Amino acid sequence: MNFSLTLPAMLAIPLVGIVLIALGTRPKATALWVSLLNLIPGFLASGVVLRTGELLFGPDPIPAREVFPVKFMLGMDGLSLSMVWLTLIVTLTAIGSAREGIKREKEYYICLLLIGLGALGAFISVDLFYFFSFHEVALIPTFLLVGMWGHGDRSGAAWRMTVYLMLGSMVLLVGLIGLYLALPETARSLDWRVLAETLRANPLSPGTQHVIAALLLIGFGTLVSLVPFHSWAPGGYASAPAPAAMLHAGVLKKFGLYGLLRIALPMAPDGWKEIGWIVGLLLAGNILYLGLASLQQRDFRWLLGFSSAMHMGTVFLGLISGTVLGLAGALTLMVGHGLSAALGFAVAGEISRRTGTSWMRDLGGLAQRTPQLWFYLMIAAMASIGLPGLANFAGEIMIFFGAWTAHPVLVGIAAWGVVLSAVAMLRAVRAIAFGPMSQAVEAEGVSDLQGARESWPFAVLTLALLLVGIIPLVVYGPAQPVLERLLVP
Amino acid sequence: MSAWLSPEILLTLAGVGLILIDSLAPEGIRRRIPLLALLASIGILGWSLCPESRSLPASWLNLFVSDGLSAVFKPFFLICLVVVIGMASRYRMEADETVRGEFLALPFFPTAGLCLLASARDFLAVFVALELVSISLYLLAAFHRAKPASLEAGIKLLVMGGLSTGFLVMGIAWLYAGAGTTEFSKLLLSQAGQGANPAVLVAAGLILAGIGFKVAAVPFHAWAPDVYDGSPTPVTAYLAVASKAAGFVLLIRIFGIGAFALESVGEFFRPILLTLGIATVTLGTLAALPQRDLKRLLAYSGIAHAGFMILALGTRGEGGIGTVVAYLWAYLLASLPVLLFINELERLHGSTDMRHLDGMGRREPGPSLGFTLCLLSMAGLPPLVGFPVKLAVLANLWNAGETPALVVAVIMAVAGLGIYLTPIRVMYWEREADAIPARRFPPFLIWVMLATGLLNVWLGLQPQVLVRLAEMSLNPLPVVETIRE
Repeated sequence: MNFSLTLPAMLAIPLVGIVLIALGTRPKATALWVSLLNLIPGFLASGVVLRTGELLFGPDPIPAREVFPVKFMLGMDGLSLSMVWLTLIVTLTAIGSAREGIKREKEYYICLLLIGLGALGAFISVDLFYFFSFHEVALIPTFLLVGMWGHGDRSGAAWRMTVYLMLGSMVLLVGLIGLYLALPETARSLDWRVLAETLRANPLSPGTQHVIAALLLIGFGTLVSLVPFHSWAPGGYASAPAPAAMLHAGVLKKFGLYGLLRIALPMAPDGWKEIGWIVGLLLAGNILYLGLASLQQRDFRWLLGFSSAMHMGTVFLGLISGTVLGLAGALTLMVGHGLSAALGFAVAGEISRRTGTSWMRDLGGLAQRTPQLWFYLMIAAMASIGLPGLANFAGEIMIFFGAWTAHPVLVGIAAWGVVLSAVAMLRAVRAIAFGPMSQAVEAEGVSDLQGARESWPFAVLTLALLLVGIIPLVVYGPAQPVLERLLVP
Repeated sequence: MSAWLSPEILLTLAGVGLILIDSLAPEGIRRRIPLLALLASIGILGWSLCPESRSLPASWLNLFVSDGLSAVFKPFFLICLVVVIGMASRYRMEADETVRGEFLALPFFPTAGLCLLASARDFLAVFVALELVSISLYLLAAFHRAKPASLEAGIKLLVMGGLSTGFLVMGIAWLYAGAGTTEFSKLLLSQAGQGANPAVLVAAGLILAGIGFKVAAVPFHAWAPDVYDGSPTPVTAYLAVASKAAGFVLLIRIFGIGAFALESVGEFFRPILLTLGIATVTLGTLAALPQRDLKRLLAYSGIAHAGFMILALGTRGEGGIGTVVAYLWAYLLASLPVLLFINELERLHGSTDMRHLDGMGRREPGPSLGFTLCLLSMAGLPPLVGFPVKLAVLANLWNAGETPALVVAVIMAVAGLGIYLTPIRVMYWEREADAIPARRFPPFLIWVMLATGLLNVWLGLQPQVLVRLAEMSLNPLPVVETIRE
């Protein structure tokens, strides 16, 4: 059996779902079945990757030299493996946690499936052209989701998000163009495996690496909400409907980090080391500035937005650690943060849907009224703080150990970040869950999650957080050879 | 024999034939003129794809050449003609329905001119072809006589066209004075190895200004928005796509591979072209952002696109030329369907204001989806065909080391997204206006828009096809294989 077909299948299945929904099948059921079905090729492909280390699908190498050597090639290795699973799980749960009674259901679910499809495509593309294209495919539905189904200042948030993300993408594109053109004409390729090998053998000149690493940092950094390119994130997530925020904060944002791991680190290693101090400054900004800002938030969704952007600082610390341990930690934290952010936004969505508000002042006593929701709120908050046993802790601790020798000061700052995060989250939990019941919570019709039908997405995310938290090896184990290769000069 | 059946001759014959039918034939046949015109244009388009159609009469060879560039662009202009005829047969001019025959016959003449222009190898031929195009277009722009804006558009086009012709003729005169010939290849020979001849530089500058009007490059762009807005929509489509493309074909011929491709002249014009490009792309994009009328919006967005192409051309070299060719095809594929959609919108609502799009995503999901895809393609988003060509522009700028132009192009590409997302937002976000009557688009529009939208996606994923076209256009010899890939 040809297992390489599982890769295009993972893209074809959501596409079929989109067509079916457009043709008029029941939107939510179709989207759900499609995401569930997509786990099958996911399992098969992962099996092959775990056994052989790599799975490729694509045309034979083009014999004649092409002016523009783009080819539709898909591939999966230990590093993409965890990203693919993150995408599959978060897509499934995001669709599962979308509730009935949305206007324009058809378009809504099509947009959600498109984001999942774009993210999956980006994570399994080998060709840089498609790698970039798939990410863009996911951006427009995000814009539509925030603009059409968002809350609050949805129009402003959608535009801000779009302008920032597009600008980031364009800077990234220029960086990629530069990388491509910096190679001698005979060695040009868009295949990142070939590119990495070529550049390992003949590194670019330090000046070029500098420029390219800087462009990639700004480009990918904007997509990951690195300070000072972050201001789209908190408001965007606060305005987005819960499933969109889950997909974007959980999955799509990881594209930028994945891109840095895939492209910046192996292809401009010296440039990346050179600008390490800038990254360090910026990530300290993420942790301290956004951490302090998150203390000031009065709206739970804004708080989650800030805290989600803040944790990216810690991942960046892993990326500049220069050790396998640090990189493995970064990867683990990417997955952990993806899951915990998804859970957090799902819970926030449920709370505001049930009580009609996400202002922490207006909430209170939720623990008595809706114990299940409270439980998942606690899990999300604890994961975000970095409680041992949940995925984020494993990632953070690995990053701290890995980065200690190179950047002790930054590790100290990041540790303060954990404290800030704990203060913000615990205050939020206290305000929302405990104390006397507020009017909004006491109001008639506020109910807990109804049985397994409503609570399974939360349970799935929680289980995944626990799994990665207790056995982080499932994330970094398969990726370890790839990460080690990144650091070999 | 087949040399006398070149598309230009057939187009002229078809145009004359249609006018004769319109004035002489009995009523029953006259009512069939839209169908006849459409069939004629499709037939000529099909013929132009056959390699046999590419040979020219021997007596023309002093003035015209049949090479890769003309082989790639004759079908381009004929596709424009087919779509414009299709649009024109559905364009409603309230009071006087009787003028229809001429309205459908006239577009054949500028198309013949454009095809001639694509294969011109002498400035005299360029001038004759351009005049053929311009005069027919003055008539067409003012054709909607009941509408003052259309008359105004005709006058504006006439005045500005006259001015541009003036520049061009002046340039040709200087050229003749300076170099003693007006033929591209002889010019190249006579100037090769010498330093820049000042007379030739002046001539090139004047000719550049003349073409600048045609492609609506800043500072020669001021006519475009009013003329696009006032002209009947099919004519707008013709101006926006075919006429603009012809300007670029001419620029490629003259500054890319022909007369002024010399090192001395080319290097002199490189900063000028880049500056023009930066100004054009910036003004086009920023001015398009606040527009609420779709035709005006397209006019300014067309200016921005022209800016991108001028930037690519300004980098010199084959990469830049190939990029412009690919860009023009991508522009055709995205903007013709958009204009077709606007034409139908105007037919339903009587104007092209964006408010008619309110709630369109709900009422007409199929056409709206196609319209959205084409707009996003114009914005240059992957996986649509507009993306690889914009990528190529940026890559060329990087390769040429033009950092300021690159920065401007990147910023404007992002800002440009706002232009195209605005109508999309209106279609999908805004609450539905209650007063909108339940007028429906004709069913054919659903399929046309969806098919072209998917074509944009497919070509965006298979940019190799455009690369082939670009390579083919750089081929100096008559191309034997067809472009039907």
